[in-house]
Amino acid sequence: MNEQQARDLEREIATDPRTNELGIRLQVRGDNLVVSGEVASEERRSTVLEIIREHDTGLDIVDYIVLSAEPGPGGPQHEQIDPPRRS
Amino acid sequence: MPDPIRVAAVGDVHLADDLRGRYAPLLTDISEEADVLLVAGDLTQHGTLEEAEAFADEFDAADVPVLVVLGNHDYHSGAERDIVRLLEDRGVTVLEGTSTTIDTDAGRLGVAGIKGFCLGFVGRCAADFGEPEMKAFTGHGIETATLLRQALDELADEEPDVTVALSHFAPVDDTLIGEAKEIWPFLGNYRLGEAIDETGVDLAVHGHAHAGREKGLTPAGVPVRNVAQPVIQAAFRVYDVVPRRSA
Repeated sequence: MNEQQARDLEREIATDPRTNELGIRLQVRGDNLVVSGEVASEERRSTVLEIIREHDTGLDIVDYIVLSAEPGPGGPQHEQIDPPRRS
Repeated sequence: MPDPIRVAAVGDVHLADDLRGRYAPLLTDISEEADVLLVAGDLTQHGTLEEAEAFADEFDAADVPVLVVLGNHDYHSGAERDIVRLLEDRGVTVLEGTSTTIDTDAGRLGVAGIKGFCLGFVGRCAADFGEPEMKAFTGHGIETATLLRQALDELADEEPDVTVALSHFAPVDDTLIGEAKEIWPFLGNYRLGEAIDETGVDLAVHGHAHAGREKGLTPAGVPVRNVAQPVIQAAFRVYDVVPRRSA
């Protein structure tokens, strides 16, 4: 797989109805295919990797995908927005 | 100083069955924190009715009015009209170049909303020139800003104490810092920012830019907040907007 084919596969990950992930980046690094970006769940990470494995890239897949932080139980943060000052 | 109107907001929740249960517990009793909940588009991952149902189920837990705009993901399956109908049947207000007002204990809140579209920012934007495809692309971006401006103009007649502009695409590039600059024209639209600056908006809220930052300002100084969930890393933020009559 070369860089151009990696771009094609990125587009496929964006348009495949199983994923529609627009934020996945693929980079060819030696014998490795580095997969990075952010997805919302472990299931979505698995599906992205499954689609990549369906292609015979000939490269070792390095999974650098990160999961979005889940909204935690902590209280919401408030920020005060003041009105514009009149001149 | 009068009490603020408490505006909760989140965007880009990208709901589908696999994320059910992520938001509902955190939205229960939100009325203790906020007067309204805005959702800045990309309610769903693929724009299917099933995912819209998941969104409606999760956000039904909120005991304040829920106002949304659609995002580009919500258009992906060509079911956006059905999604709007489903959401409205479930009590969600969908703003599409339209506005609404909500009377709170602290005053009248006006919200105008639109999805928006690509275009870019001054000096680095698409031009209404050349092929019909390019003109259509650019024209749609400009049209969305025109619709937002009209909605804000109409909203002014309702004399809200606080005016909020809600969009999916970003109205400024301040909140895109962190995203690759090459894709900024696909993330926002300076014409949206112009409409906001010329219509007395107190706060602009958007999503779409997952790798951007939360806070920015329009050229005229209106606060802009990118509430994409990966940016705020919370179920929602709350902006306590002090009514203008106190200025």
